Amino acid sequence: MNGIEHALEYWYPIAMHNELSNGQTRRARLLEKELLLSGGANDSLTVTCNERPLALQSAFDHWWVTLSENPLPLFTIPEADEAERRFVPCGVVRVACSPLRAVENFLDIAHFPFVHTDVLGAEPHTEVYKYDVKIDESKDEVIASNIRFYQPQAAKSAEGGIETEYIYRVPAPMVAILYKTCPQKADAMDVIALFVQPLDEQTCDVWPWMALYDDTSTMADLIQFQQLIFLQDRSILENQIPRKLPLDPGLEIPTRADLTSISYRRWLKKRGAYYGALENC
Amino acid sequence: MTTQPVGLSIDLAPQQVMRAIDGQYDMAVWRSTSGVVSAWENRCPHRGMRLSYGFVRGESLACAYHGWHYSCEGYCHYIPAHPELTPPKTVRPVLYSVVEQSGLIWVNTEQDAMPVALPDDLQPVRSLVIECDLATAVQALDTRQPHGGVESLSDTPKIITFETGGISQGAVVAIQQSQPNRLIVHMLVQSAVTAKDKIALSRLIESVRRQAESACNEAT
Repeated sequence: MNGIEHALEYWYPIAMHNELSNGQTRRARLLEKELLLSGGANDSLTVTCNERPLALQSAFDHWWVTLSENPLPLFTIPEADEAERRFVPCGVVRVACSPLRAVENFLDIAHFPFVHTDVLGAEPHTEVYKYDVKIDESKDEVIASNIRFYQPQAAKSAEGGIETEYIYRVPAPMVAILYKTCPQKADAMDVIALFVQPLDEQTCDVWPWMALYDDTSTMADLIQFQQLIFLQDRSILENQIPRKLPLDPGLEIPTRADLTSISYRRWLKKRGAYYGALENC
Repeated sequence: MTTQPVGLSIDLAPQQVMRAIDGQYDMAVWRSTSGVVSAWENRCPHRGMRLSYGFVRGESLACAYHGWHYSCEGYCHYIPAHPELTPPKTVRPVLYSVVEQSGLIWVNTEQDAMPVALPDDLQPVRSLVIECDLATAVQALDTRQPHGGVESLSDTPKIITFETGGISQGAVVAIQQSQPNRLIVHMLVQSAVTAKDKIALSRLIESVRRQAESACNEAT
C-alpha cells in the first residue's frame, strides 16, 4: 500500500507566478520524480520530467503541475475571483514530514494556545466547542464548520482578542482551505489555504496562500505573519512519530476536538489516498 | 536488556525534560517540580508528538502540541480542549523503569532498572558525546592511564574506574551506548576533589574524545 497511483491523479503547486524570470531554471521534486522548471517570456513557465513537458495550469498565484495524462480537475476557490481581496502568496517552507501530516495540522485548532501562544490562542481559552464536520457529496470534500475559538491576534489586521469563526474545506488530499472571521470586514471571511507539494512520502514543500480583506498591512508584514505561524507548526510537524500519518485510530488516540482530523483520515482511506499514510494503520 | 545510565542527576533539574536515546528506544526523561524522575516512550499517544519537547507543570508533563497533561504514573488527566472531560486510562505512553543512584539516572526499557553498584560519595563532573564505537573509546581512555589498563566495574553498561595521575582519587566513567557509533560518557569523581581538578578531568575527557574520534575516522 503506497498510493502513488492515486496521488499521481492530482495537480500540485510547483512555483509561484513570476518566480522564474525568462531563461532562469530551477530543479524541483514531485512524488519522487525530478523536474526541471524553466522560466520563459511573458512570465510563462515550462516544466519537464525526463525531458517530457508536463501539463501546467495557473491558479491562485501559483503554477500547478500534474504527472498524469488524465488528471482530476483542479479544485476551485470562488473567492480568488473577488478583485477587492489582497492575494498573498507566502513563499515556500520545506518540512520533513508526510504531506498528509502538514494538512492535518492545518485543520487542527486545539493546538493554537500551545503552539501559537498569544497569537492564535492563549490559555485559559483552550476549550474546543462542538462543531460540525461533513463530507460534501457533490464535491467530495471534507467540510468542517461552526468552529469558534478565542484568538488574541487572529490576523495581522486584528486589534486585540476576538472570538474567531472558522470553516475548513479539504478539496484534495494535499490541499486545505480555511475561511475565518475577517477582523476588518464583518460580512466577509478571510481565506487562507495550504497547498502542499509532496516531494516524497516523508518530505513536503508547503505553499501558504491568502486572500484577505486588509487595506493597511504591508505585503511583507502579511507574509511575515503567516511565516511565523507556519514555522511554529513546523517545529511540531518534524517531531511527530511516525513521520507518516496513521489512518486508523489504534496508534493515535483522538478526542472530540479531533473530529476534522478523524473525518480527514477516513476520507483519505475511503478514496485510497495512501501516499504519505502509514501502512496498515 | 541492560540498565543504561542516561544522564547525570544534576543535569536534570526539577521541571526539566530531556531526550535520551537507547538503541531503538527514543525516550523523554523528565523531573517533576517535587523531584520525581520519569522515563517514557518519547511519543504522545494523541498525535505522536515527541514528549521531550513538552513542559512540566507541577507533577505533570504536558505535551507541546495540545497540552495534554500526564501524571508521574503516565496517565493523561487533563485535555485542555475539553477541560471537563475525564480522559480514559488508555491514554498513556509506555513507561520505562527509572532509578537514580550514585548521581546518575538509570533506565531500563524492558525490565526493572538495576544500577551498577558504584563507590559512595561520587560527585558529577560532566557528560559528553563521543562519536565512535565502544572499543575505540575504551582504548583511548586506556592510553591516559598512568599505571596500566583501565579497571572495569561493569561491561554492560561499560563502567570503568580511571586513575588520573595528578588527582589522587580516581574518576568513574559510565558509558551509555546510545547508538552504535554514538556514546554518551558520564564522568563522576570520587570524594571531595577541588573545582580545579574537575576542570582538569573535563579537559582530559575532551582530549580522550578527540583521540577516539580521530582513531575512528582513520579506521573508516
